[in-house]
Amino acid sequence: MIEKRIITAAVVFVLALAGVIALTVKQLGIGLPTCLTDVRPFLEGKVIDQAPKRYEIHYVARMWRFEPAEISIRPGSTADIYLSTADVTHGMQIVGTNVNLMAVPGAVNYARVTFDKAGDYLVVCNEYCGIQHHNMAARIHVTDKVAAVAAPPPAVLAGGRKILEDQGCTACHSLDGGASIGGTFKGLYGRKRELANGTTVIADDAYIRESIEKPDAKIVKGVDPGMPPLPVPPADITAIIEYLKTLQ
Amino acid sequence: MRSAAPPYTRIDVEPGLRKIILFEILFPMVLLIVGIAMGFLQVLFRAGIIRSQSFLGIEYYQGLTLHGAINAVVFTTFFAVAFGHALIRFYLGKPLFLGWSWTSLILMTTGTLMAALPMLTGHASVLYTFYPPLKAHPAFYVGLVLLVIGSWIAFFSWIPLYREWRREFPDTKVPLGVIGIFATFIVWFIATVPVAIEIIALLIPWSFGWTATVNVPLARMLFWFFGHPLVYFWLLPAYVMFYTMLPKLSGGKLYSDFAGRFTFLWLVAFSAPIGIHHQYMEPAISTTWKAVHALFTLLVAIPSLVTAFTLAASMEHGARKNGGAGLFGWWRKLPYLDTDRWMFGYLFAGLVLFIPGGITGIINASYNLDTVVHNTSWMPAHFHQTVAGPVFLAFIGGSLMLLTMLTGREVAFKRINVWIPYIWALGILVFSTGLFRGGVLGEPRRTNLGLSYANPSSPLYRADWEFSRVVGAIGGTIMAIAMLLYFIVFFGTLLKKKTSSPSLEFPVSEPYHDEDVASVQNFRPWLVAAVILLIVAYTMPFVELAKGRYEGAPPYDPGSPVAQVR
Repeated sequence: MIEKRIITAAVVFVLALAGVIALTVKQLGIGLPTCLTDVRPFLEGKVIDQAPKRYEIHYVARMWRFEPAEISIRPGSTADIYLSTADVTHGMQIVGTNVNLMAVPGAVNYARVTFDKAGDYLVVCNEYCGIQHHNMAARIHVTDKVAAVAAPPPAVLAGGRKILEDQGCTACHSLDGGASIGGTFKGLYGRKRELANGTTVIADDAYIRESIEKPDAKIVKGVDPGMPPLPVPPADITAIIEYLKTLQ
Repeated sequence: MRSAAPPYTRIDVEPGLRKIILFEILFPMVLLIVGIAMGFLQVLFRAGIIRSQSFLGIEYYQGLTLHGAINAVVFTTFFAVAFGHALIRFYLGKPLFLGWSWTSLILMTTGTLMAALPMLTGHASVLYTFYPPLKAHPAFYVGLVLLVIGSWIAFFSWIPLYREWRREFPDTKVPLGVIGIFATFIVWFIATVPVAIEIIALLIPWSFGWTATVNVPLARMLFWFFGHPLVYFWLLPAYVMFYTMLPKLSGGKLYSDFAGRFTFLWLVAFSAPIGIHHQYMEPAISTTWKAVHALFTLLVAIPSLVTAFTLAASMEHGARKNGGAGLFGWWRKLPYLDTDRWMFGYLFAGLVLFIPGGITGIINASYNLDTVVHNTSWMPAHFHQTVAGPVFLAFIGGSLMLLTMLTGREVAFKRINVWIPYIWALGILVFSTGLFRGGVLGEPRRTNLGLSYANPSSPLYRADWEFSRVVGAIGGTIMAIAMLLYFIVFFGTLLKKKTSSPSLEFPVSEPYHDEDVASVQNFRPWLVAAVILLIVAYTMPFVELAKGRYEGAPPYDPGSPVAQVR
């Protein structure tokens, strides 16, 4: 019966394939992430310089950025990457490597990678994580010019700055003048803003307060609407305004 | 020796059943216009041709949610139920329990409208996989549950008819089409129980705010327990058409009746215990169980390999009877553009797509090989060659076929109609060529590329993904043209004059080899195998999850990075 021979051939084919896969796991050590139960989820991204060319990187994925956003390590370095999420499910692929991890709330993911070639590696979020998902990315610079750039220690945040971070504002508004989806906060306070409806407005206390409570009331020209209204207490808004005044 | 089945001839359909099936074809077809339009917009957004967060008032990820939910969930489920009703009526020759069919229809329609409203108003932009802790409006989840329960009721109402038929014809083989459609709905039932648990026990109470957090690793495992058999629920009605209609349309016979039965029953056993192959890159599941699911996934490729052989052999038989000769020359003698046997093209073009679709599926399932392609644009390239390939073509062809039979009308624009499946298939091949390439280079799926990676003024711009975007957009445009033509033919058919009385008459392929193998005559051993395999495959992964004691997550609106704490 020829059909039985066909079925046998199909079975032999898939078992041979399974055998080849098993060989790549055993001989070449190309594995998959496994179940880690001894590492609890963390909320602080950091690079730990363990030894020459040995790093441990703790990535925190959050809407809509990775922490640390930018790191530099030497070519030939091996990195143990731990991935945690501060909010929803994210993906993390280091383009050009075999690191492709899901960040799942409640659990920590892990992969080890060796960066043989120098260059800038793009880290993309490859799982949908909300309306700014397409802007969620980070960089790894693999370069000899690492002057112990194991990422600066996270600044101790206080007052308005801390509120901006906690509320997620900095996901779309940079603090340093860098390009960002909602426009930078640097130099915002007191500046004239050109609106989509052709009018202008000065970014004073009332404007900032309104923009937090009713984001779509005044849309700046060239910026996409879509910022969610945020439940920020009035006292915190005052602190934010005081902080923005310092960002000139 | 079991005797062959009684002859299957044209039957007149009860007016009630006719209305039910026609509604189940027309309602999703209207929604499909939206789903297809959203699909076309996707390629324009991704190519950076539309460089915006939204277009025509529809936000990118909202449109992506509509595209997936309508095309892959609503259209497919409605078609499977409508096709099931028609096949059961035709092959078993017994009137259906119309009260249950109406109940099923009302539940499915209500559920669809309930889920559509929040999607259309931007309150459920969570994509059709609705991964928590992104949260949709509760009506979205309740609507999905109603849709599923409605489809179960249709299935349950067929079971007494099947039993009655078997009592009446104890020595006759169950018609292959009936085996196929029952396999479809057994797989659907196995699939939808875990997702019903996910939605009812975890997501609905959480979306209403009755529970503060949700266990995400648990929700994900339940989702993928559903998510893979789901794709066989899509594929199986297409297989029914391949096995029962294609050989006849080719002018020949089904090469092996046994191969058909083996395929359907093997899928009943093996389509579910493999869901973790969608979760290779996740924490909270150990590599041991990922490997077990990888092995089982490879075993589920066996019936597809058998099908490829059997259908090619069947078409060869038909072609040789049509006068074809030579080792390969017979390929020329198939009714590729025959306006009367137009359904051949819809099935054949889908099968051609299924060759690369099946091969890339095996790549995805191959454990560590998935590392390269997981969540990249490779994935939509793959499933557009499978779900949007053989499945979609069989379903739109099947919809048109049911429409013509049940309204007593001829297909409108016959000469255009025969070209549609080939234009669609060309579009898919071009589209997926681009996306496969992009995927291997790390281009992510489900991403509004036009605003970042495809935007030369963004710091994230990637020139090396340009090929994928351009070729993807060209392919998507060809697909959109094919569907525009299809809608013209479909709705044009509705406007034509009635030329015959409404009836049901499917092409029925006779077997060439009519083997008598006892093990494929009965569902029972395969159902037992399915249960055992599920216990083997999923007991320990769930135990591991319970041991991990993962902390729950509060809900998030896709538009805000701040948790919704009550």
